[in-house]
Amino acid sequence: MSAGFSLLRVWLFVVVWMAHAGCAQLDSLFKKTDVEVAKPRIYVANESSSTISVLDAKTFRLVGTIDTKNHSTHDLALTRDGTRLFATNLASGRLSVIDTNLLETVASIYIGNRCHVVALSNDNRQAWIANIGEDTISIMDTATYRVLGTIPLGKGPTSIAFSQDGRFAFVSTQGKTVQVIDTATHQVVRTIPVGADPHFLVLSPDGRIWGTNAGGDDIFIIDPVTHEKVITMDVGPQPQQIAFGYKGMQGPNAYVTVSGLGKVVVINAEAKTLRVIDQIEVGKGPNGIWSNPEGTRLYVGQQPTNLLRVIDTGTNQIITTVSVGSKPVRVIGAR
Amino acid sequence: MCILALAILWLCMGALATAQVRQIGKAQNAIGALVVIRADGVQERLQGGGSLPLYEGDVLKTDIACRALIEIGDGAQIALNELTTLKLLVRWEKNKAITPILRVSRGEVWVKTTNGSRSIEAETPVANVAARESEFDLKVNEDGQTALTVIEGVAEFGTPFDTCSVVAANATSSVRGKPCKKLPASEGTTTIAWTNPLLANPTLK
Repeated sequence: MSAGFSLLRVWLFVVVWMAHAGCAQLDSLFKKTDVEVAKPRIYVANESSSTISVLDAKTFRLVGTIDTKNHSTHDLALTRDGTRLFATNLASGRLSVIDTNLLETVASIYIGNRCHVVALSNDNRQAWIANIGEDTISIMDTATYRVLGTIPLGKGPTSIAFSQDGRFAFVSTQGKTVQVIDTATHQVVRTIPVGADPHFLVLSPDGRIWGTNAGGDDIFIIDPVTHEKVITMDVGPQPQQIAFGYKGMQGPNAYVTVSGLGKVVVINAEAKTLRVIDQIEVGKGPNGIWSNPEGTRLYVGQQPTNLLRVIDTGTNQIITTVSVGSKPVRVIGAR
Repeated sequence: MCILALAILWLCMGALATAQVRQIGKAQNAIGALVVIRADGVQERLQGGGSLPLYEGDVLKTDIACRALIEIGDGAQIALNELTTLKLLVRWEKNKAITPILRVSRGEVWVKTTNGSRSIEAETPVANVAARESEFDLKVNEDGQTALTVIEGVAEFGTPFDTCSVVAANATSSVRGKPCKKLPASEGTTTIAWTNPLLANPTLK
């Protein structure tokens, strides 16, 4: 009886010890993961100071300012692993490559006259860059930084977004159209009239392509299968950029910076019939907007005041404001 | 004393500012004329022999029956055949030597890099050629179609779809939207016969 009890005690000890060791291993695994994702950052392209402001996405503190070694830094694209940041520089016609660990520009590549925006292919192996002064898209290998070719387009390409499956690139142009490029053949397979001065394009969570007509009052949506404009909606003067997020259980919502109103207009993006569900006052000239991957925070660049507004999507309230560089036009972070 | 120091500082700053445009080579010889269009639009011409400085951002053009020989980087020789347009560029990478780049929009160029010289690249509307210690000829049509013939050494021929290593006495081509395509082997000396007058007599007018 006594020997059996002792054996049970030893067995229990071993079980408890193993469970503890297992938890400790799991604990260290999670800690390691925490370390790897511990630095979610927000990058802000400051066109007039030709810099990139870097903020901690959780504490909203400025952690660095990167000299792009070029002029008129305009658009940004971040690799999925977050290690490389690509920045277009309008006045230089060059692309800056930034090492996000060093917070330093490590390469500068001439792309084309007034290179405007950059988008990474879905596999991140190519950067597609729109040259507004040459009416072309340049394709650069993101490993070698070699420009591998160009695609001629209509007047003034202004934005690029890839379809969810990567088969098509949607490019807005100053010719009041969005051109659809087959990424396997580099041929324009469709030209979609979308309205006055289309500018920003973005892929929504459901695979549709949303765009703004910055010269007008409206946004539009393109069906990714039929390649037709399926919805147009007035949101106010000079809509600029769009991000997607959630308000608690509600969403996804589209958040549109409307420069002429000084507001972020919130649209129920889930419904078949879009409707404005809220408007958030942010001050004059909001432009760049980014949502964190969870969709709970919005980061809005306010161009005339050189401020970044951080909005909580649960309350649609500004929770903090951070000073950044001069003329913040684009805001991005981890996807 | 203080004013003198400020004046010296001002002069140094002026020197730094003017040093921003990087000289990356020189034009040495032209049959007919080589037109050099500077980044600010100002044009200069080389006719016959000479030593015209070439800067990053310059556009070089040859007209019909005109050819030119230039040198860039640390001794790489480049010949432009008639009806050629190219732009001189550089890529900067931290802790690496500057990479000279020829952006050829149309025409034909012959490139010969010297032993031990840094790599040189040529961009066309549909491809990129990267080479070191090699000799090659590159033809670019109006529609961007590109043909590369390697005469000596090896060159990497990259398109948005693939990269082909091309060795001496081999040729490859590409058109927009297609990967590289091997061409029948060609006689390199025949391909570049047009460079002979430039290389043989550098003072031709």
